Amino acid sequence: MIGLVKDIVARRDLLAMLVARNVKIRYKESVLGFLWTLLGPVFLIAIYAVFMKIIMKFPMPMTVLVSGIFVWQYLAMCLGDSSFAIIGNANLVKKACFPRILLPFSIVLANFVNFVLSLLVMLVYLLFVGPQFREIAWLPLAMLAHLALCTGVSLALSALNVFFRDVQHLTGIFTMAWFFLTPVVYDVSMISSITSKYPILGQLYFLNPMAGILSLYRTALLGSPLPSLNSLAISVGVTVVVFVAGILIFQKLQPGFADEL
Amino acid sequence: MSDIAIQVEGVGKRFRLRSSGGRTLKSMVMDMIHAPGSERDLWALKDINFTVERGSTLGLIGANGAGKSTLLSVLAGTMMPTEGAIKTTGVISSLLELGAGFHPDLTGRENVFLAGAIMGLTRAQMNRRLDAILEFADIGKFIDQPVKHYSSGMYVRLGFAVAVEVDPDILLVDEVLAVGDASFQRKCLRRMSEFREQKKTMLIISHDLGTIQSVSDQILFLDHGRVLGHGDPGKVVGQYETFWRNQASSERSREWGTREVILTGAEFSDEAGHASTKFSWGQPLTVRLGYEVKTPVGRSVFGFGISDEAGRLVHGSNTEIAAVTIPGLSGSGHVVLKIPSLNLARGTYFFSFSVHSADHKVNYHRMDNAFAIGVESDKNFEGICFMPSEWRVG
Repeated sequence: MIGLVKDIVARRDLLAMLVARNVKIRYKESVLGFLWTLLGPVFLIAIYAVFMKIIMKFPMPMTVLVSGIFVWQYLAMCLGDSSFAIIGNANLVKKACFPRILLPFSIVLANFVNFVLSLLVMLVYLLFVGPQFREIAWLPLAMLAHLALCTGVSLALSALNVFFRDVQHLTGIFTMAWFFLTPVVYDVSMISSITSKYPILGQLYFLNPMAGILSLYRTALLGSPLPSLNSLAISVGVTVVVFVAGILIFQKLQPGFADEL
Repeated sequence: MSDIAIQVEGVGKRFRLRSSGGRTLKSMVMDMIHAPGSERDLWALKDINFTVERGSTLGLIGANGAGKSTLLSVLAGTMMPTEGAIKTTGVISSLLELGAGFHPDLTGRENVFLAGAIMGLTRAQMNRRLDAILEFADIGKFIDQPVKHYSSGMYVRLGFAVAVEVDPDILLVDEVLAVGDASFQRKCLRRMSEFREQKKTMLIISHDLGTIQSVSDQILFLDHGRVLGHGDPGKVVGQYETFWRNQASSERSREWGTREVILTGAEFSDEAGHASTKFSWGQPLTVRLGYEVKTPVGRSVFGFGISDEAGRLVHGSNTEIAAVTIPGLSGSGHVVLKIPSLNLARGTYFFSFSVHSADHKVNYHRMDNAFAIGVESDKNFEGICFMPSEWRVG
């Protein structure tokens, strides 16, 4: 693990260039460019607002929906891109020698850059609707855990997809399920009727690391109540496990990449 | 300091063959049903041993699929060998294909920096090399255009410029000489000889035998993952050509007949009587054609034919046409065919031989395209076969 960190530090120029490349080419030749990072979530928000708030009369503040979608978007982008991190760079993997981990990692970081930019836009929106930044100190932890989670998941998916192309197809379904298991278009408080009856379910719910991470974001940005420290510890713990497992899976599989591609 | 730049010991590389495409759950299940180590394994390299001295150039030759590119990949570290050990001294260029890291949407300049970073150079180091790269690649204003708008020649020029200007101790080049126009090839060769003067080590793959023979100090001849020849360029290239000719004739050859008499072999020899399958323009050629009689037969005829690579019959004749009478045959023996002057254009030719009854009704044994020879020629004329001719004005 220390060797890996050294490798990455030694090749930071390459990492920086790959990140810049990924940021650049994502919106290359599209008229609206970076705006798509915003337009995607904005359309999603509009759709959910119409269906859930207007048609289904779901009592949900707009800020919850907006923060949920923007935060979710980062993970969703990573999930969508990471399957192709290695197989989409087959030529490079076969013909050049460099730490392979930089390919998926640079995608995670490039998406993080996009995410931070979209977060800034969201902050502007929140300033308009009345800022609730009392607990903003939680934001760094939320972002760090978010980044670690996206890294772990992306590394595992990018490596597994080299050997099992099923991964890229499963990811779509998996993303959908994960979306609803995460309080993206609802708030944790809205499932309290279930979790107060069965406290164990409340704890299990936070095994989904995104539940804890998104709750932290909402605490930091909307001033929502902090989830119990127990729940937070579970989410952060799972995040660490996913992060480490992602790295281990990737490093275990990477010597065989060139043979498979 | 050791003067060995590359040491390869007992290297083997096994690939798992799969029916098609990537692995899916279905193919994984199929893999579990098939026992491991079955015929679905392919050794792309096996028992490879060689060393390359610092400052020398090793050429790799072999047919497509012989394992040349796999060997380079294993040396560069993009693939792990299944067995064996590789030791390299110094910085090895890790970009095996020109322009491998180029992204079509990035400009030439952006790609140069990216490729440099892939090979482990910092931005500052690349900045210092940028002028030399631009000069070598010679693509002018296109450097700030996305490389997808490049012609293939520009693409390769930029790729080669980056690869050489990165200045590795060991340069691995796969098929660089196959691309680019003549002037670019000359430029590459010049750059490569500068490389040699700087005591850099090179490993190159090329199908251009003439060039690889002239730039290499040693040549390694691979076939189906095995080393078939290693050493002096002229010798190994000759060995490769002979091998290739035999391969080609074994693919074309066909034999049939009633086999009362069988042809047991044909020995080709040159002017000095040495066995050879490589001849020069105008040289005499002698073939000793052996036969063995299984059932004694009456008067017979031996025939021969020469075809070119396209399968066209260039020349054919037999003992009857030549008015040589072959009486009844029994036991074993040989006949000798002599061509006083080989008037063929440069290329590969295939000999066919036959023995049949004098009335042409019974074909005892016929071997079509069974023997291949190579002809070297600098005689200037059009066509396959030289016909003495003269011009007169008025």
